[in-house]
Amino acid sequence: MKQRFPDFIKKILFVEILKGLALTFRTMLKPPVTRQYPKERRDPKPGFRGQHAFVRDAVTKREKCVACQKCAIVCPSRCISIRYTTDDSGARKLTKYEIDALRCIFCGYCESVCPVCAIVLTETYEYASYSRDGFLYDRERLLLNWDEFAARLKRDSYFNMFWRPAGCDVRRLPAGKREQQAIPAGRKPEAKSQKSEEENTENGRPSPSVGEGGRI
Amino acid sequence: MEPVGVAGTETRKELTLNMGPQHPATHGVLRLTLDLDGETVIRCTPHVGYLHRGIEKLAETRTYQGVMPLTDRLDYVASVANNVGYCLAVERLFGIEAPDRAKYLRTIAFEMSRISSHLLWLATHALDIGAMTVFLYCFREREWLLDIFETICGARLTVSYPRIGGVLQDMEPAVLESLEAFTRMFPEKILEYETLIDKNRIWLQRTQGVGVISAKDAVRWGLTGPTLRGSGVSYDLRRDVPYDAYDRVQFEVPIGNKGDVYDRYRCRMEELRQSNRIIQQCIAALPEGDILASDAPELDMPISGKKELVPEMSLGNASLAFGDRVSVAPKGEIYSAVEVPKGELGFYLMSDGTGNPCRMRVRSPSYVHAGALAKMCEGGFIADVIAVIGSIDIVMGECDR
Repeated sequence: MKQRFPDFIKKILFVEILKGLALTFRTMLKPPVTRQYPKERRDPKPGFRGQHAFVRDAVTKREKCVACQKCAIVCPSRCISIRYTTDDSGARKLTKYEIDALRCIFCGYCESVCPVCAIVLTETYEYASYSRDGFLYDRERLLLNWDEFAARLKRDSYFNMFWRPAGCDVRRLPAGKREQQAIPAGRKPEAKSQKSEEENTENGRPSPSVGEGGRI
Repeated sequence: MEPVGVAGTETRKELTLNMGPQHPATHGVLRLTLDLDGETVIRCTPHVGYLHRGIEKLAETRTYQGVMPLTDRLDYVASVANNVGYCLAVERLFGIEAPDRAKYLRTIAFEMSRISSHLLWLATHALDIGAMTVFLYCFREREWLLDIFETICGARLTVSYPRIGGVLQDMEPAVLESLEAFTRMFPEKILEYETLIDKNRIWLQRTQGVGVISAKDAVRWGLTGPTLRGSGVSYDLRRDVPYDAYDRVQFEVPIGNKGDVYDRYRCRMEELRQSNRIIQQCIAALPEGDILASDAPELDMPISGKKELVPEMSLGNASLAFGDRVSVAPKGEIYSAVEVPKGELGFYLMSDGTGNPCRMRVRSPSYVHAGALAKMCEGGFIADVIAVIGSIDIVMGECDR
């Protein structure tokens, strides 16, 4: 009976409910954790698998694709189609490259296997449209995607983590990937952020930095 | 008009009610037909298949590597768990063993996905029963884990982080540091959720003694995971058939005794603490080394026969020269199961030597649990059906496949 008496008092006084209310009241005084999305945009992490693009080569000003068809072979949703011609020396020339973005499941296999780091999934995530036509990305559109992404990039260089994943045995990678360096791109960052970027960059790829409270 | 229910000629009329597939509390596209007598459920018949995508059949036309992103779409709330389950099945079939570091990294990611899955379950379960605040609190913590997933693999939900024979990439010190900060902060957040609902009288009245299933029945219906452990059966594949790094970490398997909605809720809450413990131990004991086995298949593994050697190929490939009709995979079949947040997820793989699985069958816990709904809801009130659906934690993507 002695045990039950305090329980009875607690029940009358709504102790457990008052405790809960105290917690919600305390939380009310803390800053909000939500973002007002269209006004406040969040930057995806480097390596986010978003819109497709062809990296524009600095020398040729064209895509680097060599029509090896590896991406089309590994693609689990079979959304890549490639046509090419072979010249007298046996070199392949890309004539058609199309990605059906509506079929894509963004697994990142294409950028993982690409031996020359041509195709990438950029960090662009806002590209909704009212028509389906715009989602069949051809060569020109993929290059355009890259230009748009590179212009908006807030870092001063771009290195896709699928080109040389951290901890990966480089002997597994094709030569094109082993030698790939970070691509200079984007706006000129302010002097302060440039300094912190240099500290975080190791071997040409940016490493994640921990923010306030240990959060990435 | 004939009077109904005149004394002496009493007629019992059953009402058949369709709940779902567009009901917000059925967690997806589950449809239940309920035969009601007043508010009491006489019979409950679950109907599944509204989210059927033919993943098992689709797997037969993809290479072993190509199936991996498909497994993300089974239980999309805890996709790493599905990836690891599939990768382990293929590794056991191929005779590959992941390096130590990869095993630990996979265990960390696995438990991260268990926490994020249980948080989503707690959020929606509490929302169904009427506790709105818990929903927002759980999502606040889940966001942290999703951010870490995004950093290590570029996606938040359908991650494809594990690979056959290892993982996609190493977790950098900054990531581990952030994860450690999370594990330090998390126990006190679990206490917060418990302050809100653990002793709340509304919560207790909605959950205690509701949807009871005895230990014997639970085993008979094939229940697994927290749904089984809530009935008092101590069965956990992480402890009983250890894989990855689970035999090298200490954790307890919480069990309930009554088998009602409340006990299943308690089991999952304790599991959150245990998962947190496992992550802490894994980070502390993380060994150095490779993250991918040297004999792991390439992403562009051949389907059969000859693989041409071309100059731009990697050195890893150059050592592989296939004969004309050499099999790329060992023949045979295997059943391999892991303990995902929902229960036992099994992959049955049959190989005929080609690079495509000859047959893949997924034993998904949600499908089995959806079947047992009929048993749990019988004789209860219609409002309790919602609580029961929440307590078995089903995801229709996995149920219908």
